[in-house]
Amino acid sequence: MIEMNQTFIIAAYSVTWAVILGYLLLVSRKGSRVRDQYERMLGEIRVEDRP
Amino acid sequence: MPPDNPVSRQGTAAAPAPTSTLFALVAIVAVIAAQSFAILTSPAEGDMGHLQKIMYVHVPAAWMAFISFFVVLVYSIRYLWRRNENDDLLAASAAEVGAVFTGLTLMLGMIWGRPAWGVWWVWDARLTSTLVLFLIFVGYLALRAFVDDSGQRARWSAAVGAIGAINVPIVYMSVKWWRTLHQPPSSPETLDPAYTMGLRLNAIALLLVTIYFIRKRYEIARVERAVEHLAEAAAMRGK
Repeated sequence: MIEMNQTFIIAAYSVTWAVILGYLLLVSRKGSRVRDQYERMLGEIRVEDRP
Repeated sequence: MPPDNPVSRQGTAAAPAPTSTLFALVAIVAVIAAQSFAILTSPAEGDMGHLQKIMYVHVPAAWMAFISFFVVLVYSIRYLWRRNENDDLLAASAAEVGAVFTGLTLMLGMIWGRPAWGVWWVWDARLTSTLVLFLIFVGYLALRAFVDDSGQRARWSAAVGAIGAINVPIVYMSVKWWRTLHQPPSSPETLDPAYTMGLRLNAIALLLVTIYFIRKRYEIARVERAVEHLAEAAAMRGK
C-alpha cells in the first residue's frame, strides 16, 4: 500500500514538473521564433526604404 | 525594441523588453525549495498517510488557475470598456496560463483520486465544474485562433473570457452547494497547522511561476501583434 502511494506521489510531482518545464520550453521557443520573425520583417522594411 | 521602429511610430503594439530569465530561475528554485520543504517536514496524515503530499501541488495549481482567470475577467472587462488592445493581449495570455493550470489541476486530481477514492474520475460537482471551466478556456483559445479580424477577435474573446471566469466561484463553491466526493476546500484556515506552511510556500512559489508565464506570454503576444501590424503596413505599401 505504501509503495503504491509512493508511485502516485511520484507521478503527481513528475506531472507537475513536466507541465511547468514543458510550458516553459514551449513559450521560450515561441518567443524566439516570433522575435526572429519580427526582426526579419523589420529588416525587409528597412531594405525597401533605402533610396 | 529599436527606437526607429515604424510600428512604434504608428502608436500600435510595440514589442516589450524580454522578460527576465533571472525571474524564471528564481521561480523554479522557489518551487524546488517549497516542494522539498513540504515533502520533508509534513507528517503522514491520519486517513491518507503520505498521499496527502499531493495537496502541495494540486491545491496551488488550482489557485493559480483561479488567479489567472481573475486576471482574464479584469482585463476582459477593461478591454470592453477602454478598447485598448494590450488589455486583450493580457487577458489572452492569462487565459492560456489558466488553461494550463486547470489541465494540471485535473490531472493531479485524477492521480490523487485513484488511490484515495478508488477511481480516476467521477462526475461529481467539483470535478465536472472544473472540467467545464477547462473546456470554456480551451474554447476561448480556439476562438482566438480562428478569428482573423483582430478587433472582432478581441471583442468576442473579452465576452467569452468574462463569462467563462464567472464559472470560477461556481467551481469553488461546488463542494459546499452540492454533495460531492471531493473534500471541502483546502486552505491555511481549514488545515492542520503541520501542513499550513508547506501549502503557503508552495502557493507563493507557484505564484512566481504564474507571474512569469503570464508576463512572458504577454510579451510574445505583443510581438506577434507587432508582426501583424508590420504585415498590414507592408501590404498597404504594396498596393
